[in-house]
Amino acid sequence: MMKTPFRVLSRIAVSGLIASAMTLSGLAAANAASTKAPKQITIGTLYAGSGSFADSSLPQYDGLKFWVNQMNAKGGVYVKAYHKKIPLKLIAYNDQSSSTTAATQYNQLITQNKVNLLVSDFGSVLTSVAVPIAQEHKMLLIDPTGTGGSFFTPNNPYIALTSLPTSGVWPTSLADYLIKNHYKRVALIYDQNDFDQSQATTLLAKLKNAKITPVYNNSVPTSTSNYSVLIHSIMATNPDAVIEFGYNTNDIPFLQSVSASGAHFKMLFTIFPGQLLSNIEQNVGVSGLAGTYTYPTPPLLVYNKVNYGLGMNAFTKEFQKSTHSAPNFLDVAGYNAGLVIQKTLENTTGLGQLQLRKALYTFSGKMFTLDGLFKLSPTGAQIGETLPVAQLIKSGNGLKVKVVYSK
Amino acid sequence: MRKPLISGGIVFLIVLLFFAIMPSVYSNEDLFFQAMVYLALAQGVNILYGFTGYLPFGYVGFFGTGAYAASLCITLLHFPPVLGIIAGGLASVVLSILLSPLLRLSGAYFAIGSLAASQMVYYIVSNPSLQNITNGPYGINLESVYQPHTSYVTMIVILALVMGVVIYIRNSRFGLSLQAIREDPVSAGMAGVHVVRQRAIAWFLSALIAGLVGGAFAWHISVFYPTTVFDLNISIFAIVFTLFGGVTTVLGPVLGMFVLYGFYNLIGISEPQYFQLIYGILILLLVLFLPSGIVSIVKRRGHYVP
Repeated sequence: MMKTPFRVLSRIAVSGLIASAMTLSGLAAANAASTKAPKQITIGTLYAGSGSFADSSLPQYDGLKFWVNQMNAKGGVYVKAYHKKIPLKLIAYNDQSSSTTAATQYNQLITQNKVNLLVSDFGSVLTSVAVPIAQEHKMLLIDPTGTGGSFFTPNNPYIALTSLPTSGVWPTSLADYLIKNHYKRVALIYDQNDFDQSQATTLLAKLKNAKITPVYNNSVPTSTSNYSVLIHSIMATNPDAVIEFGYNTNDIPFLQSVSASGAHFKMLFTIFPGQLLSNIEQNVGVSGLAGTYTYPTPPLLVYNKVNYGLGMNAFTKEFQKSTHSAPNFLDVAGYNAGLVIQKTLENTTGLGQLQLRKALYTFSGKMFTLDGLFKLSPTGAQIGETLPVAQLIKSGNGLKVKVVYSK
Repeated sequence: MRKPLISGGIVFLIVLLFFAIMPSVYSNEDLFFQAMVYLALAQGVNILYGFTGYLPFGYVGFFGTGAYAASLCITLLHFPPVLGIIAGGLASVVLSILLSPLLRLSGAYFAIGSLAASQMVYYIVSNPSLQNITNGPYGINLESVYQPHTSYVTMIVILALVMGVVIYIRNSRFGLSLQAIREDPVSAGMAGVHVVRQRAIAWFLSALIAGLVGGAFAWHISVFYPTTVFDLNISIFAIVFTLFGGVTTVLGPVLGMFVLYGFYNLIGISEPQYFQLIYGILILLLVLFLPSGIVSIVKRRGHYVP
């Protein structure tokens, strides 16, 4: 009597699971790393094609792709261990800004694609899940922009930050600038995330040492997009310097609200105009940005005298020719990660992950690229690059950058 | 009674064997771990929505609470990870007790209420003022106890428990009473069903499952931020997988997870540019032609689905 239901059940269950197994197994790729002179060097990375990190992740990926294409056009990258050029293959998956999806995909790159080099996605959130996975698989993680301080520990040799110092170091110049220029009434608003809070902590500590107590000190959820009430609260404290630490998705509504409120502060600082100027200019307008301060990064900081890779002007020209768009900082960060990989391969004695790490330290402190000095701390954090303070000044219909303080 | 139990048992065994064997066939263990997480969460949603009719959009609140409670027990109280996971489950049950007044709401009001509650927990956990306890926005780092294989096995055990509970509910008087309440609470009450108690048990069970799964997830992923474990997409995935397969059954969430999560990974990885389009069309077709899920094809023909 139960034959039919059982048959139906077993058909559904078995066929469903077989189909699913095939679907899941369909993820397999046929890349196996060989120990001697591989036909190609595989680089695995992730990018966020959609979601909250897409604006920043896609340019970083474009920069890396640009470097791969440049290398392959020249016949590949020179690998010292094999005394020859080997072509590059970039394997990239779209994590859609989801760190849980990213975790699966980092695993996929290591266990199935067996990539030779692993490059993490943009920022701390999408890099965080890669840190233990890379360490577990003894895989060196090339980290272009994941600046979370907790990633870099003495017992983890499998990570190297290629651009930007860890976020807690960022406000060093800013704090010095505020103190030196006798700003006594400082208002600070920051988002509740690792990146922004670590900067706020550093700034507050430095201000405290200079006996400056902020007249306004408040954190807001990272999802905040309406700042009008907050800005009026800040105005009520009559500050002469307003510092806002947020992501670009916070900086834009914050600057828009400041413009809309008619507020005027002697000094107004936000982070992302220094990295994504054209994007923020499109949303806020030149008038909304003119006179404000930021941390300038390449290409706003122009480094043409480099000892490795393209200088800033040459890069801008080549990048525009290749992608038909002007580069921003994250394009530079992606390209710079490629340059670090290139130099590592030129210096490594093999493709073993600790050999790669050892090679990184052979040129740490000596390589100067369009992104600045590449220098690693013993824990793999970036300490060569510094972030000065700059003011955005109206120039014709656009903006120009004037560095006002550099340590 | 025995035969439905046997058919449920077959599904149970096939699913667990699949997850036990697949990492040795295909070494991306994390893929299967995440699949188990979503399957267990889908079964938790199944208990609450399928059997009682409460759609918990804020289900991720219990998941995140479990993840954080387990992590804090491990880091601050030096619990062994497994004990931490159990504490995570219990913390979610405590939260569900605190939030039990939400059960006075129904339909969209309950869905919105649970969503707001999950956001409330998220903002408390990530608040910088609680940095000494939760580490605020800096997230959690469990690298010192990171053991992906052991946490994988633990997740299989949790999944087994969850599947066992759902099979029990599917075939018990308790499950029938829940379904009676879902259809008409007044009639069910008049027929002798203790409406408030039965609903509350389903609510606590569902929270316990999410808490245990959250704890195991925290251990497995080991470095995460509050946004990772309170991500609303986790709720959405669990709900969609359940609805796609078909609620009030053991098999429905299993099919929903395997088909949709399989597609999610396959299309999302190989053809990301078409991912959202294909995924959207798939869900649209389901809503239009199979609103009761895939299992309704079999049910319509009068067959029993475990």
